[in-house]
Amino acid sequence: MENKEVLNTLNDIKEMMERSSKFKAISGLSIVIVGILASLVSAYIYFCMGDYHINTPAKWHTTVIIAIVLLVVAFATVFVMSYLKARHLKLRFTFDTTMRRLLLNFFIPMAAGGLLCMALLSQQHYGLVSSITLIFYGLALINSSHFSYSELRYLGYAELALGLIDCFLVDYAVLTWFLGFGVFHIVFGVIFMLKYGRRK
Amino acid sequence: MIANLDGLNKAFESKIRLGIMSVLMANESVDFTTLKSLLELTDGNLASHARSLEDLGYIRCEKRFIGRKPNTSYSITDLGRAAFSAHIQALASFINTQQ
Repeated sequence: MENKEVLNTLNDIKEMMERSSKFKAISGLSIVIVGILASLVSAYIYFCMGDYHINTPAKWHTTVIIAIVLLVVAFATVFVMSYLKARHLKLRFTFDTTMRRLLLNFFIPMAAGGLLCMALLSQQHYGLVSSITLIFYGLALINSSHFSYSELRYLGYAELALGLIDCFLVDYAVLTWFLGFGVFHIVFGVIFMLKYGRRK
Repeated sequence: MIANLDGLNKAFESKIRLGIMSVLMANESVDFTTLKSLLELTDGNLASHARSLEDLGYIRCEKRFIGRKPNTSYSITDLGRAAFSAHIQALASFINTQQ
């Protein structure tokens, strides 16, 4: 009896330390949906442009606009679905320290990568843009994993590795985006749902 | 069995104080409202427990104004960190001797 009480106390302490420092209301299904969206959009770019060589300013122009729209839609999806999940499970979903910290640590690398891509595009250096998007997205995930589910870092490592491989390849931008933003999200999202989705 | 519980700190016997210390161990500083909603406490309840921990020198309380709103935030002191670690150590060793 006494023993059990002590164990409970230790568990309470651990849970409270976790809950107060990490944002734990991300919807796994939304990650899968983002992956599906990204796959469809990459397929659209691939077929719409005839081939996967994005090598003219006009093609880049279209691609960048599509990518920005996709980014906004993806983020909105994750946000809204996480909010619904939190409400359903009665988790905390307020703009408090944990959420602020997560957003800040995610968007600082994202903004840095985004600006770098803009600079490269404006100077017509197209070659490394696809790898830079993946590398910075990976770093953003690894960075934010400290303030949310720690498993996010595995997705981050995968994106980072793919981005680095892509550095050495020419003209595979759409394919690596399809893999990195499409397939990786779907796979990670499904694993995530299997691990966290069924509880409660 | 009772002898093994020697290392336990009386200050952390209350669940609320234990909660406050746990949150402050994991965070650099936490404001009053966040702490209140995390631990599901009332204003007065949190204030009085926080005060007792403050009096022991385990936590530090910082009051300031953000615009015109008063804002109170808490952080753990070195003394508090040491005391809480010792408390956890005592709990853990109690379990070890039981097994």
